[in-house]
Amino acid sequence: MPPAQPVVELQDVSKSYAEGDAVREVLANVRITLHAGEFIVLLGRSGSGKSTLLNLISGIDLPSRGTVRVDGRELVTLSEHERTLLRRERIGFIFQAFNLLPTLTVEENILLPLELTGRDGLDSRNRVRELLDTVGLGNRAASFPDRLSGGEQQRVAVARALAHTPPLLLADEPTGNLDEQTGRKVLDLLEGLTRREKACALIVTHDPGLVARADRVLSLEAGRLVEREARA
Amino acid sequence: MKQRLLIRSSLRHLGSHPWLTALSLLGIALGVAVVVSIDLANASAMRAFERSTDTVAGRATHQLVGGPSGLPESVYRDLRLQPGAPVSAPVVEGHVRARSGDQRILTVLGVDPFAEAPFRSFVPRGGGRVDMGAFLTEPGAALMTGRTARALNVKAGDPLQVAMEGVVKPLRVVALLQSGDENRAQAMEGLVLTDISTAQEVLGQVGRLSRIDLKLPDGEAGEARLASLRPLLPEGVEVIRPHTRGNAVEQMTRAFRTNLTALSLLALVVGTFLIYNTMTFSVVQRREQLGRLRAVGITRRELFALVLGEAAVLGMVGTVAGLLLGVVLGRGLMELVTRTLNDLYLVVSVRSLSLESFTLVKGVLLGLGATLAAAMLPAWEAARSAPAVTLRRSMLEDVSRNRAPRLALLGLVILALGVGLLSLPTPELLPAYAGLFSVLLGASLLVPWLTAKLAGLAAGPLGRPFGLLGRMAARGVTSNLSRTAVALAALMVAVATTVGVGLMVTSFRGTVADWLESSLEADVYVSPPALVTRRGGATFAPGLAEQVRATPGVASSSTLRTVQVRVDGVPTDVRAVDFGATPVRPYRFKEGDPARVWKELEAPDAVLVSEPLAFHRRLGVGGTVELATDQGPRRFRVVGVYFDYGSDTGTVLMLRSTYLLHFQDARVSGVALYAEPGQDVDALVARVRERAGTGQALGIQSNRALRQLSLEVFDRTFTITHVLRLLAVGVAFIGVLSALMALQLERARELAVLRATGLTPRQLWGLVSLQTGLLGLLAGLFSLPLGVALAYVLVHVINQRSFGWTLQLLVSGDVLTQAMVLALAAAALAGLYPSWKMSRANPALALREE
Repeated sequence: MPPAQPVVELQDVSKSYAEGDAVREVLANVRITLHAGEFIVLLGRSGSGKSTLLNLISGIDLPSRGTVRVDGRELVTLSEHERTLLRRERIGFIFQAFNLLPTLTVEENILLPLELTGRDGLDSRNRVRELLDTVGLGNRAASFPDRLSGGEQQRVAVARALAHTPPLLLADEPTGNLDEQTGRKVLDLLEGLTRREKACALIVTHDPGLVARADRVLSLEAGRLVEREARA
Repeated sequence: MKQRLLIRSSLRHLGSHPWLTALSLLGIALGVAVVVSIDLANASAMRAFERSTDTVAGRATHQLVGGPSGLPESVYRDLRLQPGAPVSAPVVEGHVRARSGDQRILTVLGVDPFAEAPFRSFVPRGGGRVDMGAFLTEPGAALMTGRTARALNVKAGDPLQVAMEGVVKPLRVVALLQSGDENRAQAMEGLVLTDISTAQEVLGQVGRLSRIDLKLPDGEAGEARLASLRPLLPEGVEVIRPHTRGNAVEQMTRAFRTNLTALSLLALVVGTFLIYNTMTFSVVQRREQLGRLRAVGITRRELFALVLGEAAVLGMVGTVAGLLLGVVLGRGLMELVTRTLNDLYLVVSVRSLSLESFTLVKGVLLGLGATLAAAMLPAWEAARSAPAVTLRRSMLEDVSRNRAPRLALLGLVILALGVGLLSLPTPELLPAYAGLFSVLLGASLLVPWLTAKLAGLAAGPLGRPFGLLGRMAARGVTSNLSRTAVALAALMVAVATTVGVGLMVTSFRGTVADWLESSLEADVYVSPPALVTRRGGATFAPGLAEQVRATPGVASSSTLRTVQVRVDGVPTDVRAVDFGATPVRPYRFKEGDPARVWKELEAPDAVLVSEPLAFHRRLGVGGTVELATDQGPRRFRVVGVYFDYGSDTGTVLMLRSTYLLHFQDARVSGVALYAEPGQDVDALVARVRERAGTGQALGIQSNRALRQLSLEVFDRTFTITHVLRLLAVGVAFIGVLSALMALQLERARELAVLRATGLTPRQLWGLVSLQTGLLGLLAGLFSLPLGVALAYVLVHVINQRSFGWTLQLLVSGDVLTQAMVLALAAAALAGLYPSWKMSRANPALALREE
């Protein structure tokens, strides 16, 4: 079978931050290619640069050196506006801090990416309801995020990231605040989308149980990316 | 619609802060209301004047006018006898005060009914005919509309008493006129129609006409007729177009109206700063939320549009409320504007507010425009928001603190630019206002740096009496610099505006009081009551002035005749003074040698001009002015420029001997009496009153009483400025309140943490009050130097360029104290609601809501 289309390509990517007079390198010479249909897990200790890597792939941040390509487009050459549109159209991002909008209801938060990509008809509403049922929040559609528990907010964040069926899914600790049963449901959802839609998912996690589901397992160690052996 | 959810999110954000939203709306509404109301009041006065001028001018295409005492009747007779004479009608016009009903000022229009038809049509009520016999033969026969009659409490057939320069004259209402549509009804309010001889008798113009109306064909034929007519006219008679008079009034009152508009715009500038504060605050407060939007794919452009959209909604609602409020306020201000116009410039009766659509459109554009302009920077700030994950609150505050010195430098540059604009040697007002705005903006940019420095210094002194809470209050100001600095800048501008306007009025009053002190040197002043208080052109009944001057106990006396003459084509007050045997010359000179001026003035072609006239007409010693004398236009040399704060349009002064050479008018408008040594002034006043008798009501005042009266008139003419200042104070108060309240409400989580840690509601109240108090104190302190600078600009640049007056800047402690009280009172009030709210709230809930 010919290899699937690369969705993400990182070439010698480094990222460093200035801290006073010192410069701290968070990522060093990272090289990786992620393909459509792959369910990838990224492991690493706190502060190892996992979130930074997701930010670079989503175009939220830019590398200090090297190139990041998403869908064949070199992010550094894109304008801020183009990078934002790329994120809107092609990427679903589950943030560690949820980043739900407090002034929109649960349903509206999930509807937002659909509306932004020009899909706000009846189908979209059905899709939102379906996602809400899947994450077990069918009865909380009209609630505002500040009325939900941390776990519930995380599920809304997952549903929002999946709403517009993006070809690239980035998830920063998506099951960190969930009980085991809900966590499993969420992972089923993420994996299901990846398999069904031939999407590419990069999941940052501490959960060793997730490794068993992954096509590939990556690990960040002191800013360097190492590929581990995945399931058979 | 793609942005529907975003818009909903924005509206919910506004709705979740009802107090702040309501206060910003009130800020916009008040700003718009002040501008609209002043504009409506000004426009209504001008419209009322135009309407009455149009009504009395009728369909005349041209008018023949003479010197200040009008035209001899013979001019009309001779004109009619000319072969091919143009259609013409004689007119006698003047103002009297009714002595019944609402005692309004009436315009007496004396006409010849047989010549009137081509010019004006006055239809009797019921469509019948006026009894021409009675109208022409009965002395004092008068016509007026039913509305005017009702206001005067008279009906057809009733006698009506009117006062002309203090002398009572009897009239009789022989019939009522139809008023027609509302426009015409308003134009005819206050109009009394009589025949020529009645008007001459009532107005004291026997044998003279005010003007002759002409109707000439349009175009070349008319011009040809005019050309053939001109050589036939006697010396001193000029042909003008009727609108010339309206233009002159427009010009005469322009500076006054422009200044009111400028002051009202200051209220809008304060309002704009408040909007800026609200919008910036709303952006700063939602930084994280905006970052989240950026993270999920909202572009910068979309965020920019979103914040501007919010501002547009606020602007629209505030503007509509402002328009409604402006109309209500306009009704009140209209009376003040009319009274001031009547005190200073002309006789005008404004009975209703004209709702000019142009003013309303302007109000909408200004309200929306100011809101959007104020929201530009916050919207740009919002658009620059980094996606949420890269954003940390403490980082933002670091950025704000690091940026403060650079902003201060930029502020200094803008301040320097403002000073440069203000120093430009131009009489134009626009660079002055641009300079003023630059000073406000430059000062605002200094605020973050100054706040950080001063709040840092305050931590120690506050910590000593209040312990940790005191230090927290001070540190809170610096650690939230991105929020506190914006609020403080808005407050500073708001409070400084009230200081600036307050000091300007105080300075003006002080200068006028000084001037009155030096220019009123006689012991007793006598003059007939004038309809335009400050112009005082009313004249004594024949022989009465001489009788007054000969009162026993009077050592010497001087007389004054004030009359309106066209000077270089513009109606201007000319004063003819006769010092008699008095050596006193109560004038101070800006130009000209006081030792030589009076000698030079004895030349038959020499005049003095007041400082405003010299300024408006670019005159100086050696210059010349052309006066429309009774012998025709004559040029006069300017031999001095004197200080005068009595008229902003300016006056020309000449010796009475010169006046009598050029004008056929021996009347006197005022007499100044110098008492013999040892004479009691009050006794002298009583003697003068006795000698004057009761034939003409005269104003007889001692020096002190006149000074008092003059200052009362001054205060009256500044009432509207005071009202505007009060409104600006109101807007400022709302600004202080909303900005500080916003700051405290925004700290809900921090306060909840403190409550959860064990702070009692009382301690919480203390902490919040300390911080708002500190902010109020800083706002007050910042506003003082800026307010004084603003006053300097208003006094030495704006006023100078508007009126040409040299004023002394007086820094009154009262105004400065008021500013501090305003800032501190609003600050104290602003702390009440957040403390009350937080002391009642469940800390757990507040922690969760965040």
